[in-house]
Amino acid sequence: MRPGEIVLERASRSFSIRADRGRTLKELVLRRDHHGPAPVRALDDVSLHVQPGETVGIVGRNGAGKSSTLRVLAGIIPLQGGRAECGGQVVSLLELGAGFGRDFSGRENILLNGALHGLTRAQTEARMEAIIAFSELGDFIDVPVKTYSSGMFVRLGFAIAAHLDADVLLIDEVLAVGDEAFQRKCEAQIARQIEAGTTLVLVSHDASLIERTCARVVVLDDGRVVFDGPTTAGMPFYHRLMGTEEVAV
Amino acid sequence: MRYRFLFEQMVRRELRQKYKGSLLGVAWYVVNPLVLMGAYYLMFGVVFRVVQYEDYPLFLMAGLVVWLFFSQSLLSAAPSLLDQGALVRKARFPRETIPAAVVTVQLVTFLVVLALLGIVMVAVRGTLAPALLAVPALLVALYAFVLGLALVVAVLHAYFRDVAPILSAALLPWFFVSPIFFQVDSITHDEWARRLLTWANPVAPFITAIRQPLYLGTLPGAGTLAYVAVAATVALVAGRALFARMQAELAVVV
Repeated sequence: MRPGEIVLERASRSFSIRADRGRTLKELVLRRDHHGPAPVRALDDVSLHVQPGETVGIVGRNGAGKSSTLRVLAGIIPLQGGRAECGGQVVSLLELGAGFGRDFSGRENILLNGALHGLTRAQTEARMEAIIAFSELGDFIDVPVKTYSSGMFVRLGFAIAAHLDADVLLIDEVLAVGDEAFQRKCEAQIARQIEAGTTLVLVSHDASLIERTCARVVVLDDGRVVFDGPTTAGMPFYHRLMGTEEVAV
Repeated sequence: MRYRFLFEQMVRRELRQKYKGSLLGVAWYVVNPLVLMGAYYLMFGVVFRVVQYEDYPLFLMAGLVVWLFFSQSLLSAAPSLLDQGALVRKARFPRETIPAAVVTVQLVTFLVVLALLGIVMVAVRGTLAPALLAVPALLVALYAFVLGLALVVAVLHAYFRDVAPILSAALLPWFFVSPIFFQVDSITHDEWARRLLTWANPVAPFITAIRQPLYLGTLPGAGTLAYVAVAATVALVAGRALFARMQAELAVVV
């Protein structure tokens, strides 16, 4: 695998839907875990090959398997069939403040996130000032993050993700929370990283964001790839699928 | 050791969450065994007088701190993966750092209490003997033993939510059959009962082995030492193997 390369080969993954996700011993003992709704196929035979430096937008309805695809690529969820591989340092921004300790200050959370991505203390501290500057949090950086607004969370989260030397950057719908100025800053930063060879996979319902940042679009429906090609052809396909075709002016 | 820094950060995170908003903070960990020690001393040293050892409170305390480290570690490790669910679901990292951090936080407080106890022991009982040098090695073995079991209960509890309640129910009778407020020799003359109490309970040899140098200034027997070494190795190896096997689906089940 080259750094930045992504391979999904006939990837399949289903989830059983249930209120409590853990099983109880009763089920284990009685061997009765086949009741309840049938498992949902989140990824059904998905194949995808992304070259280093490509920008891929993943679109589709709610529940089409977009987020599952990202979590598989991030290595958080294992596949039940097929193969998934990402080359190099994979950095994911899947949820606002996912790896944050609420009682820690922004600065301490930068250390924690660096650690989660396998950096050493020295490597993380070397990036500290750049991350703080990018986040524009100012004095709030030394305040526990539980006092942050969601916009501040995304600033810090993206600032960290942007400074982890990603070869593959996986972003799930979180950028929309930031204000317009910060969104533009994020997009500019993403563009810089792409020029440097980073691969971007972006899940979003924001059609214009996809059009601005992604050259390639993958449309998922019911866990299957129904379109994979250039954005110019992909977005019209997506709109037709969603029944939201824009009326020609 | 690419994840040493991560481990350090997880321990800090655990510490912060634990002592959040408590006035006495770490001191609670000293208060808790002291109160228990007082209660058991009253119970077994004054009221029932089952056993009569010299400096009974110190004897009691030595066993009690080991037991508390063991039981508190397992009780807090069991739900640890669920407590850190947000992290497990959304980030990729070696998940064993979560229960390991929990146990390590318990270890720190245990060592503080043990050090205080050790000073009092040596002063009161005059046990400043070469046998004390064995204590650090015994503590390493105890840590490995508890860590191995903590990995097991943590990953099992993520899949089967009955594990933590079963554990907390089991720990109470387990406490009473462990040689904490008695020595096995002084409560029964039946050979089989003695053997059972001494060897069938994997915590018992650890309690005996750590207490003896402190309380008597002598080394525990070779059998006990061998048991401790084997139990620590088996628990850690088996715990890590089970965790490695079961951790893949954690992001889905927690």
